[in-house]
Amino acid sequence: MEKFDSIVVGAGHAGCEAALALARTGNKTLLLTISLDAIAFLACNPSIGGTAKGQLVAEVDALGGQMGIIADKTALQIRMLNSGKGPAVQSLRVQSDKNAYHTEMKKVLENEPNLFVRQGEVVEIKVNKNHKTITTHLGLKYQAKSIVFATGVYLKSEIIIGKSREKTGPNGFKNSSKLSDSLKKLGIKLLRFKTGTPPRLHARSVNFKKMEIQNGEEDILTFSYMTQKKVENKAVCYLTYTTPKTHEIIKQNLGKAPAISGEIKGVGPRYCPSIETKVVRFADRERHQLFLEPEALDTQEMYLQGFSTSMPADLQLEMVHSVVGLENAEIMRDAYAIEYDCIEPTQLKPTLELKTIPGLFFAGQINGTSGYEEAAAQGIVAGINANLFNKQKPQLVLKRSDAYIGVLIDDIVTKGTNEPYRMMTSRAEYRLLLRQDNADMRLTEIGRKVGLVSDERYKKFQQKCKKMAKIEKILQQKVKVDEKLKDLFNKNGEPIPKENQRFCDLMKRTNIDIFKIDETYHLFDNFDKHLLENVNTKIKYEGYLKQQQEEVERMLANENVSIPEDFDYNSVKGLRVEAREKLSTIKPLNLGQASRISGVSPADISILSILVKKQKKK
Amino acid sequence: MEKCIASVATPLGRGAISIIRLSGKDSLNIALKVFSSKNIKKQVLPRFMYYGNLKLGNDLYEQCLMVFFKAPFSYTGEDVVEFQVHGGVLLAQKVLEEVLDAGAILAEPGEFSKRAFLNGKITLDKAEAIIGEIDAESEAELSSSLQVTNGKLSNKILQAQEKLKLLLAELEVGMDYPDETEETKLKENIFESLDNVLSEIQQILSNSNSAKYLKNGINVALVGKTNVGKSSIMNALLGEDRAIVTDVQGTTRDQITETFLYDGIKINLIDTAGIRKTDDRVENLGIQKSKSALACADVVLFVLDGSEKLSEDDKKIKNMVGQNTIFVINKTDKKRALQHFENEIEISALKNTNIENLKKAIKEMVISNEIDFNKLVITNERQYSILKDAESILQNIQKDEQILSLDILAMQIKKVWQTLGKITGNTENEDIIDLIFSKFCLGK
Repeated sequence: MEKFDSIVVGAGHAGCEAALALARTGNKTLLLTISLDAIAFLACNPSIGGTAKGQLVAEVDALGGQMGIIADKTALQIRMLNSGKGPAVQSLRVQSDKNAYHTEMKKVLENEPNLFVRQGEVVEIKVNKNHKTITTHLGLKYQAKSIVFATGVYLKSEIIIGKSREKTGPNGFKNSSKLSDSLKKLGIKLLRFKTGTPPRLHARSVNFKKMEIQNGEEDILTFSYMTQKKVENKAVCYLTYTTPKTHEIIKQNLGKAPAISGEIKGVGPRYCPSIETKVVRFADRERHQLFLEPEALDTQEMYLQGFSTSMPADLQLEMVHSVVGLENAEIMRDAYAIEYDCIEPTQLKPTLELKTIPGLFFAGQINGTSGYEEAAAQGIVAGINANLFNKQKPQLVLKRSDAYIGVLIDDIVTKGTNEPYRMMTSRAEYRLLLRQDNADMRLTEIGRKVGLVSDERYKKFQQKCKKMAKIEKILQQKVKVDEKLKDLFNKNGEPIPKENQRFCDLMKRTNIDIFKIDETYHLFDNFDKHLLENVNTKIKYEGYLKQQQEEVERMLANENVSIPEDFDYNSVKGLRVEAREKLSTIKPLNLGQASRISGVSPADISILSILVKKQKKK
Repeated sequence: MEKCIASVATPLGRGAISIIRLSGKDSLNIALKVFSSKNIKKQVLPRFMYYGNLKLGNDLYEQCLMVFFKAPFSYTGEDVVEFQVHGGVLLAQKVLEEVLDAGAILAEPGEFSKRAFLNGKITLDKAEAIIGEIDAESEAELSSSLQVTNGKLSNKILQAQEKLKLLLAELEVGMDYPDETEETKLKENIFESLDNVLSEIQQILSNSNSAKYLKNGINVALVGKTNVGKSSIMNALLGEDRAIVTDVQGTTRDQITETFLYDGIKINLIDTAGIRKTDDRVENLGIQKSKSALACADVVLFVLDGSEKLSEDDKKIKNMVGQNTIFVINKTDKKRALQHFENEIEISALKNTNIENLKKAIKEMVISNEIDFNKLVITNERQYSILKDAESILQNIQKDEQILSLDILAMQIKKVWQTLGKITGNTENEDIIDLIFSKFCLGK
C-alpha cells in the first residue's frame, strides 16, 4: 500500500488549492479526482471574482495560492465592480476562459514536485490511530496522516431536468456514490443541498444586435501581484431580458417544474434562484435581466446567466426562444438542477478539521458553501492546516478581522448554514479593513510563516511596502499656501486653508485626493497608480478605519480567551438550557466564537468567562 | 488592564449622593478630562478625596468629590475612579454622559464584579454569587426591556430599526449585486429617512426626560443676591401645597431641598444655605453656591428686585445662568426700575401675587406638551445612554452627508441599527441578508 503524508479527495477549486498548499510545504501529497478532465472545472458561470469573491481571490493569492494567478492568465474580460461606491466594496471580476482555466491549473498541478495527481473515485475511508486509509472504486488503497475532503457537489449527486433524474455529477461527470455512506459511518452528519446552472447556447444562433454590449475596463489591477502585465480584454458580454411571454410559459408549466412541484427536496440557495422561482416569487416583475457570457475562446458555447432552470428540455427551448435576441437560439447543453450530499459544517473547527477525528479536513462545497472562490479559500486553509497537523504544529485560524476567509469559515462552523453559503460583503462586519487592495498587507506575512509565500513573492511584497512607506513619507511634507495651492483648491471648490498644512491633511478635504495633488505638485511621477490609490484610501478614510480597528480590538478581548476543548457546559448552573446545548454542540475555541453562536446571550458569555477562568486556575 | 467602563454605582432614585464609577485602563485620564480640582498638585494621590469641579457641558460645573483607587488596590483590581455627586437621576445621568463622551464605555450588567473576580479580588467560592448577580442584573435589564417591548415606545424603536434595516438592505444589495439590481435604485431620500429616525429617537429621549421629571420631580434652583426675597418666594411657593419637607441632614451637602406638588409633579426647590448667611464673604460664597445649584437644576429662578436697577452682582449671576432660566421680578408692589427680560414673571412674594403663574411656568419650562404616561417607560439609565449613542451616530451621519461613500454610510447606519438592537435584542446580521433576498430578485 502506497503511503503519503496527505491525500486530497477531489480536484476542484478547493482540492487544487489544498493539494498545492500541502505539496508546496513539503508533504508528499496524493490528489485523487473522479476525472482528470474535471480538474478546476468551472462547472457553472465562466467567471471568477465579483463582490466579496474578488476579495477572497486576492486573499488566497496573498497566502500563496494559485487561483488568482490562473484567473489573471485565463481572463477574457476584466471589470472593477462598485468603483463608485467606496473602497470597502470594490471587487474585481473576470470572465474566464473555462477551457484554459482547467488546462492551466492542471499544468500547475502536474508540475508540482511533491504532488501526485491520479484519477480514481474514493469509496471508503478508514481511520486508524495514527493514519487513515482510503480505498478507490478499483480496490486500490492509499494511506496518509491527514486527508482533505474536497468533493464538491459529487457526493450522491443527481442531475434533475424535468422528469429526468440521473445519478451523475455536474456536466455528466461520474458521481461519487459510496463515499458519503462511509463518512456517515464515521458519525458525520450529512445535509442535502441543491444548486443549478443555466443552459449553454450556440453563439451563431444569437441575435446580438438586440442586446446591449457589456465591455471590459482597461488599466485595471489584477488579482495576483505575481501577474506582471495587465489583463487584456478579449471578449464581451451581452445584456438581454426575459419577456412577458417567458413568464407566461413558465406560469403555465409550473407543474412540470421539479423545484416547485416538490420533486426536488434539497435546499437551494436564495441568491441563486431558478428562473421559475424568480417568476413565482417576484410575480410583479415584468422582466428579468439576463447576461450572455462567452464560455471560452475556442468554443461557440455561451452561458445564459440568470436563466438557471430544471424545467424539461423541450420547455427550456421554448422559454429560451421567448427571450429578446434568443428567438432562434440553439441550446447546446441543457440547464439542470443538481442535488448532492454535504456535511453539516458545525462539525468542523475553525481550522476546517473535523472535531471528532483529528487529521480529517473538509473544504469547499462539501461544507455547504457555494462558489469557486469560497471553495478555493477553504481549500488553502485546509491545506495549510493539514500540513501543520502532519508536522504537529499549532493550526492556523484566520480571524474575522483578518480576512473574508476568516468570516466565511467562522460563519459556517459557528452558525452553520441552511442553504449553500455565498460570501457577501455585508457578511463582513469589518469590511472597511478587509479590502481587496490590502489583502496582501493583511495576509502575506501569514502566508510566509506557513511556508507558502515564495521568496519571489515575498520580495515583491517587501518592495511594495517600501514604496508605500515612501509615498506616505512624501505626503507628510508641509505645503505653502501659495498661488499653486490656491489654484488647486479653487478649481475643486474647496475653501483655501488658512495656514501651511501637510499634503496628507489636504487630502482629507472632500474634493481633494492624491491624484489631484500629484497633478499639481508632481510628487509621484515614478509610482504605480494603484499604489497611490491604496495610500489615498488609507488617508482619506483614516477616521473610519480607526473606528473599525477599535471595534476589532474590543472583539479580540473575547477572541483571546480560549475555552478548553473538554469544558463541561452542562455543569454550569448559570447558563440557560438553550445556551448549554448550543455550546456543547459547537464547542467554540474561544469566548469570541461562543458569543457568535445564535442563542447564546451576552449574559451567558459573562458567566462563561468567569467559569473558564475558574477552571483554568484549578 | 481592560478598557475603561463606567456606570452609576448607586441605586437610581432619590438618594442624597450618587456615585459614578469608572474602572479600567485610562480611567484616571478620562476622569481628569471632566474633573478639575485646585488640590491636585503634580498627580492624583490614590485614596484621597478631592473636592473640585465636574464639567457638565459648556461652562457648567458641578461641585463634587473624586477618589482614585490605584490598581490593584481597588474593588475591581483595576484603576478605579469614583465621583460622588448630589443625588437625583438626572445629575447622575449627566455625569455618566460626560464620562462616556470622554472615552469610557458603558458597563455591561455585572461587569464590575466580573472584573473584580477576574483580577482575583474576589475568591473563587464567590464566583457562583457573582453569576447570580449577573443573572439578576440581566434579569432586571430584561424585565425593563420587556416593559419597553410591551409599550408603545418599543414599537417606536422597533419601527426605527425596521426603517434602518430597509435602508441597509437597499444599500447592501446595491453593493453586493451591482449588476443585478437594475430596478433597485438607491433611495434618493435616504437621508430624509435617516432624519426621520433621528427625530423619532429625539422624541423618545425628550419624552423620557419628561418621564424622569415625573418620577423624580423638577429641580428648581433659586439664585440671586441677598435681600431680593428668595426666602419669601420659597415660602410663597411652598405655601399650603407643601407636601414633603426634606431636610437632608448628616451630609456635607449644604443644599436644602424642599418639595411641593404642582399638577401632580414634584417640584424640588434648591436653595443654598450660604446665600442666607450674612457674614463678610457672603457675596462670594453666594455666587459659588449658586453655581453648584445651577449645575443640577432643571429650571433656574433668577430672582431680582424690580425696584432696583441691575447691580454688578446681578450681572455676575446673569452671566452664569443658561437657557433654562426664568427671571423672577419680585417686589412688584413697588415701582419698577429694572429693565425687562424675555422670559420674566413679575410677582410679589409679599402679597402672594402671580405665584400660580410662576408654578405653571416652572412646569412648562421642562414639560412642554401633554405627556402620555403609557409612553414613558424609559427609566433605565442604560437604555437612555443607548438612545443617546444612536442619536450621536445619526447626527454624525448628517454632518458628513456630503462625503460619505456608500460603504461607509452603510457601516454607520448599521451601527445605529445595532445600537438600537441593544434595547430590542434584534441585531442578527442574518436579518439584513434575509431581507435582501426576500425583497430583491437576484441570481444567475
